[in-house]
Order: sequence, then structure tokens, then C-alpha cells
Amino acid sequence: MWDDRPHAARGPRRREVTDLYATVLEVVKRYHGAARITRVSYGAGMPVDRLRTFLDRLVALGLLRSEELDGRPAYDITPRGQEFLDTYWRMRAFVEVLERPAEPSRSPPGGSRGPHRRGGPDRYDPP
Amino acid sequence: MPETRVGPGEKVRLGTIEGDLEVSQGARIEVDGRLVVPGTAHFEGSSSVEGSLECRSLRVEDGTVQIRGDLTVQETVRADDGGLEVTGAFRAGRVDVDKRLRIGGPAAAEEFEVGGVFEGGSTLTSPKVSVGGKLRLSGKLTGRELEAGGSVEVAEVDLETLEVGGLVRLAGGEVRRSVEVGGRFAADGPFKFGNLDVGGVVQLRGPATGGRVSVGGMMMAEKDLTFEALKIGGMGTVQGNGAGRTIEVGGKFDVRGSLKLTELLEVGGAVAIGEELTGQRLSVGGSLTARRAVLSGEAEIGGSIATQEGAKAERFRLRHRSKATGPLVGNSVEIESKGRVEDIYGGRVELGRKSVARRIFANVVRLEEGCEVEEVEYVESLDLGRNVRCRQPPRKVDHLPPFPI
Repeated sequence: MWDDRPHAARGPRRREVTDLYATVLEVVKRYHGAARITRVSYGAGMPVDRLRTFLDRLVALGLLRSEELDGRPAYDITPRGQEFLDTYWRMRAFVEVLERPAEPSRSPPGGSRGPHRRGGPDRYDPP
Repeated sequence: MPETRVGPGEKVRLGTIEGDLEVSQGARIEVDGRLVVPGTAHFEGSSSVEGSLECRSLRVEDGTVQIRGDLTVQETVRADDGGLEVTGAFRAGRVDVDKRLRIGGPAAAEEFEVGGVFEGGSTLTSPKVSVGGKLRLSGKLTGRELEAGGSVEVAEVDLETLEVGGLVRLAGGEVRRSVEVGGRFAADGPFKFGNLDVGGVVQLRGPATGGRVSVGGMMMAEKDLTFEALKIGGMGTVQGNGAGRTIEVGGKFDVRGSLKLTELLEVGGAVAIGEELTGQRLSVGGSLTARRAVLSGEAEIGGSIATQEGAKAERFRLRHRSKATGPLVGNSVEIESKGRVEDIYGGRVELGRKSVARRIFANVVRLEEGCEVEEVEYVESLDLGRNVRCRQPPRKVDHLPPFPI
């Protein structure tokens, strides 16, 4: 789900379990309350038996809710699940920034260059 | 209705038939010109059609069907626990595929719904495209809505809305209403948008124009960016010029060129403008640096402002312990206590207690207790509090020198 190319020299970032939870939540969210386990499994690229444990965990944590739809369980994301996703993506962005090599900082603007500069240092040292 | 059956593993040659077509697992159908099925073509398990197929509806169950030619379906395409691969052009009504849909030629349908992966080798035209997993398309996508849970890689888009959970990468195009992306959004070429809301990272490699932009994490625009309102919670960089109505930055924001705003720049974190900042109002809680800044209204600095050529506003108000580097020019300049500033040019200049300034050129000057100033030139009045130190005696003049900006 995530583009790991900025760190190509280092190889792609290994998907961690948190990434898998986020992937499942994003796929469930797309079905607007009617996410079936088989559809989620195709969307998340995860076998149904493994996915079932993820879904159970997410329901237990209150990030997903499950309801019967035509006699079969259908999943939907909760506000808490959306909050998890917002935080997850934001954190991923910060981690990407922090893992990049630091750019050389641009020199800050110097002292004033006004027409009435009468010598002295560029920056003002208070008396 | 008559029915044509093809048994498991059978290899047959068909052309135009009557009624429905029932195909079993492992069958291979050679085609005389084009296989035409007036009814439903039903495939149980994986099988192939070695040519073009035309039918009223298509159903696939528990397998993947390969069509080595064009596929034209008047009504619905449905693949339950199955997938579909078409090497040529594709045209259908509603399309619902559980697993993978792969189309080599141009594709058009009233609606595409794919649970797993949708791969297109050419263009795609549809009012609504929904993909649970990934969409990869080599050509242009024209439609109204696109949503995907995983990722989208498309050459170019012409859409109303785009909603994706993970990654979006476009060659460019236009999304007229809204783009909502959880993870990363990248446009490699010119891109126009209504609103852009991204939780993670935005990369705009070409010039971009749009309305409201909200980025939770990080934004990088490599060319010019034009917007209505820009809100960055994390970090943002514009390598070209920026133009818009308002900006609210909680984190860090860097514009290599100039930044033109018609209303407010609100900085909670740090903003650096390589060239000129123009706008109406400015509120800096953190820090702002620019070559020069010109505001038509009020500038309130709670942190620090640093310019090379100066900052100009109708009214400056520098809060307690705030700092200004570079000249300030304003009709009214008010420095609260313990402020540190360089040169000030203004109509009325007031320094709060224990503030430090280099030079002051103003009509009316008021320096509160304990201020330290190197030089003061005033036209109308000078009001000095207790223990004010002026390195040179203040001078009353007829005219102030020309202001730097």
C-alpha cells in the first residue's frame, strides 16, 4: 500500500503488522458498511483465515464493527478506526521525513540592507 | 432458451450460437471470427476463449476466464470468487469482479467494481470505478468517481472525485471536486483539483492548481502551487512560487520562490519564503523568514520575523519577547516588552519596557522604561520613559529618510 521508493537504495520497507491493520481498515472503509470477508481478503491481498484473526482483533479494539447483512457478517469502520488511520498516515509521513538524510539548511536572511545603513555589523548587538 | 455446453477440459470451435453458453473448468474455445452469445455466457472454473466474445451477460465462478480478443457485454459482467482477463477492448454495462480484472485494450462500462486488482493496459472510461485493492492503468481514466482501498497508479485522470486509502500516483490531469487520500498522493505532471485532502504525503512534481489543500503529514510541490486555502499540519515545501487566499501552517513550510496571498498567513511553526511574501494579514506564533514581506493589513508576531530587505504592514504588533531581524515599516509599530528589533520606520512607534532597537525613524516615538536604542529620528514627538538609554542623542527632524520598502 505504501510507496517505499524514496529509500530505494536501502530496499523497500518491510510491511509490519501495523501496516497490515491499516490496509485492512482502508479496504473495509471502501465498502461503506457492506464489507464481506472475501472481498476484504481480495482487496487486502490476505488469505481469509489470516484475515479473520485481524478482523476479530480490530472489532475487539473498537476500530471496526460487524453487523449481520443478509445473514452474513459485514464490516464497517468506526470513528475510532478512522482516527487510527488518520494518525497512522500522519505518523508514516513524519517517519519518512525523519528517515531521510537531512538537507543542508538554507542560510537565513542576513541583517537589514536598508538605504540608511551606516556601517557596523550586519546584525544588531544591543548596547 | 437453447443452450450450448462445453464440458470440462473440452476444446471446441464456436462462432455465433443461439441462447446461453455454459462452459466448464479447463475448456478452451477456438473462435470463428467472433463468438456471439445472445444470452448469458457462464463459465464455471478457469477456461479460455481464443478470440473475441460478445454476449448479453457474462458470469464467471471460481476461476479466471481469459478472453484473447475483445469482450462486449450488453448487460452485466460478474465474477464470483473469480477473475477475468481480456487482451483486447472491453465494453460492458455493470462489472463486478471479486478477484483480478485485467484488460489489455480500451475499457468502458457503466460501473466497475473490483474486489482485488484491476489492471488496464489502455484507457478506461466509466462513471464509477471502485477497487478494493489496487488499480494500475497505463492510459487515461475518464469518469466521475474513483475509489480504491489500496493504491492507484494511472497515467492521467479526468474525474470528479478520487478517494483512495493508500497510495495514488498520477501522470497528471484533473479532479474537479475532491481528492481524498489516506496515505500518499503523487502527481508527476500538471494537476488541477477542487479540494485535496491527504493524511500522509503529497508530492506535486508539476505545476498544480486547486482549491482547499489539507495535508496532515508532508507536502512537496516541485513547481508552482496555486490554491485557495492551504493547511499543513506537518511539513511543506514549494520549490516554485505559491499563490492563494490563506495559509495555516502548524509545522514547517518552505517556499523557494515568492508567496502571494490575498488574505491571512498564520504560522504556528516555521515558515521560510525565499523571495517576497505579499498578503493582507500575518500572524506568526513561531518564526517567519523572507527576503521581504509586504502586508496590506496587520502583522502580529508572537515569535520571530526575519527579512533581508524588510517587512512592511499597515500595523505591526510584536508580542512580549518577540524578535524582528531586518527593517520594519508600518504606519503603526508596537513592540511589547522585552522585544528585540533592528530598524523601524513608521508613523507611530512604541517600544514596551526593556525592549531593544537599533534605529527608529518615525513621526511619533514612545519608548517605555528601560528601553535601549542606538539612534532615534522623529518629526512630531518623542516620549521617553525612565532609564531609557539612547546611544546617540535623539534628533528632531523635518523629514524622515525614505523608507526601505
